[in-house]
Amino acid sequence: MTLDRRTLLKAAGAAGALNTVWPLSAGLSPAQAREAAEALGADYDPAPFTLGVASGDPQPGSVVLWTRLAPEPLAAEQKLPEVVAVDWVVAEDQALTRVVARGSAPASATLGHSVHVPVQGLAAGRTYWYAFSALGRTSRVGRTRTAPTGSVARVRFATANCQAFHDGFYAAHRGIAREDVDFVVHLGDYIYEHGPVGGDHVRDHEGPAVLTLADYRRRHALYKGDASLREAHAAHPWFLTWDDHEVANDYSGTGGGAPFLQRRAAAYQAWYENMPHRDGGESALPDPVLHRTRRWGDLLELTVLDLRSYRSAQNLAGGTILGAEQKNWLKGTIDRAPDSWHVWANSIMLSQLRGRPGGSYMFTDQWDGFLAERREILGHVHTSGLEDLVVVTGDWHSAFVDDLRVDFDDTSSPLVGTEFTAHSVTSGGYSADWNAANGPLMGRGNPHLKYFEGNRYGYDVHELTPQRFTTRMRVVADRRDPLSPVTTLTSFHVDRGRTGSYEDPATKGSPAQWRRD
Amino acid sequence: MNLVVNGDAETGPGGTDAPVATVTGWRITQGAPALIAYSFGGGYPTAADPGPDRRGSRFFGGGNAPRTALVQDVALPAAGATGHAAIDAGRVRYAVEAWLGGYATQEDGARLSVEFRDARGTPVALSVLGPVTSGERGGRTGLLKRTAGAQAPPGARTARLLLVLTRTGSGASNDGYADGISLTLTASAATGTTPTGGAL
Repeated sequence: MTLDRRTLLKAAGAAGALNTVWPLSAGLSPAQAREAAEALGADYDPAPFTLGVASGDPQPGSVVLWTRLAPEPLAAEQKLPEVVAVDWVVAEDQALTRVVARGSAPASATLGHSVHVPVQGLAAGRTYWYAFSALGRTSRVGRTRTAPTGSVARVRFATANCQAFHDGFYAAHRGIAREDVDFVVHLGDYIYEHGPVGGDHVRDHEGPAVLTLADYRRRHALYKGDASLREAHAAHPWFLTWDDHEVANDYSGTGGGAPFLQRRAAAYQAWYENMPHRDGGESALPDPVLHRTRRWGDLLELTVLDLRSYRSAQNLAGGTILGAEQKNWLKGTIDRAPDSWHVWANSIMLSQLRGRPGGSYMFTDQWDGFLAERREILGHVHTSGLEDLVVVTGDWHSAFVDDLRVDFDDTSSPLVGTEFTAHSVTSGGYSADWNAANGPLMGRGNPHLKYFEGNRYGYDVHELTPQRFTTRMRVVADRRDPLSPVTTLTSFHVDRGRTGSYEDPATKGSPAQWRRD
Repeated sequence: MNLVVNGDAETGPGGTDAPVATVTGWRITQGAPALIAYSFGGGYPTAADPGPDRRGSRFFGGGNAPRTALVQDVALPAAGATGHAAIDAGRVRYAVEAWLGGYATQEDGARLSVEFRDARGTPVALSVLGPVTSGERGGRTGLLKRTAGAQAPPGARTARLLLVLTRTGSGASNDGYADGISLTLTASAATGTTPTGGAL
């Protein structure tokens, strides 16, 4: 790599002509591709821990620690021994002096030199710090937290979704890293699978559409080239689900022939390699099992759903978005639910969404394409007497607040919960003109829709107490600015024991393209 | 020594394209497998089609379910040249092999994966074979050999094999086929594993 090329890339980026110099993979070595990516705003931690550290799936005595060795993050094959021993340590202090657990895990080339360490024997409800070492180098220090047990007075968590690399920098993740939250839930579209988009974007994908394991590994490495994403992973434990773009647009996990199933297996494996996901048990890679329930003391039961792996095609009479096994499991969790808040991590919109009064559904890739199953699940919520249900959702690149009814077309149908669909981290939404014109149309066409705002980007922070559930829409001022400040656009509340949401009077005058009240 | 039990579909009930309720050595976790004789006919692979040279009498088929899955957990040997001590010293390599295929130009397929796990059940290595596409088969009914291998990571104690047979489209028959599944360990000189980082 020469200074001339770096200058060219910077100039091309500034001129909005990235498509003249991308894909970076064309004719460039991995090291050159990395340098070129860095010239356009990507950066990495020091090798071999370039992709940072992360933790996930916190439980009362356990959390999963993750890292992946990638000295050249954009290289298809890392110049590393076939297996590298990675030491890890967990301590009660940031300086890692009061060590409570340590060990070593093998990082195999067959799993992209990733390690997933399910640390056991930790105390419930406390903060820990951790780090890795390998090849004589030490990683950054990450912070994590275990789930509490017993009586809990408050829990706060953030939800993030849809982070197209080319559509902006991750100021939203920078904000999440600085939030006082117990954990983060990622609702999917962590990467996008397509090739470069060109045009006037702040950055771009590194090569054409990803198809193979090497491709997906490189794409994940590109996305982790945003320092704010690595910072958010290092700051909090994450729960994870996925949507379609981790594999391919609008795919069905049970559809497609051998060529697509080769691709899906590659995508699933690369996802596992790059996420702090706890697998094992009855599952087997390359088909990780994502759906699970987790408790945060007596205050919260979190149910993570997988709406991709087991779904059928859309709009079938007997179609399924959950798959038979997950559906029965979900109904069982409803039957056994404790007296607490119940939050479903749901990648794609559950509520009905017509484009206008009497109009057709806007997207049947979401639950609108699986009507019988939605009615069965929400009917089961009602008949089982489940209370205090809040669904947190991604995918739409716009914010919605919906109150959930068993039958959305019948306003006398029982209310069973509230759904908060969050702004995206960066992925582009509709134009301001579209939002202004269609917000009121959607509002009038969907009596359960209370709020719509589509001109902003960010994430949600949810705060739960025994009395109230509050969702704060946190938005960035400019997604093209990696240091963009974060503010609260508005807040909604749900009171314990009462179905239905209401907006905080203090922020009710904030900009939106639809408000029912 | 092949560590896989009944990787050649020769043992237990079967012989036709009718699904079986049990498969020797394997747990049926989804669908309805059939163990079909190469002599069964009906368009299924025959002794004359591409497949293992020493193919025995039967192969695995997906039966009549859209997705059929079989799992087998293998305990890695505790002692000997490929035992736990040798694995932990980085002196054991594994090789996985399977013959995977499908029917004519259809994209029904078979995938075999092997996931090595440590004593707590955490994945520490993974190899995925297939599924073989119709293009790779040249549009011909049959099975093709697929192989992979790597060092068994220190701490590996079990291997989970997952055989997935998938149907494309709306027909009844799941024409993902598999045969000749093997997992072997070999002792080697200690290579590939670095000493621990030591900085923590």
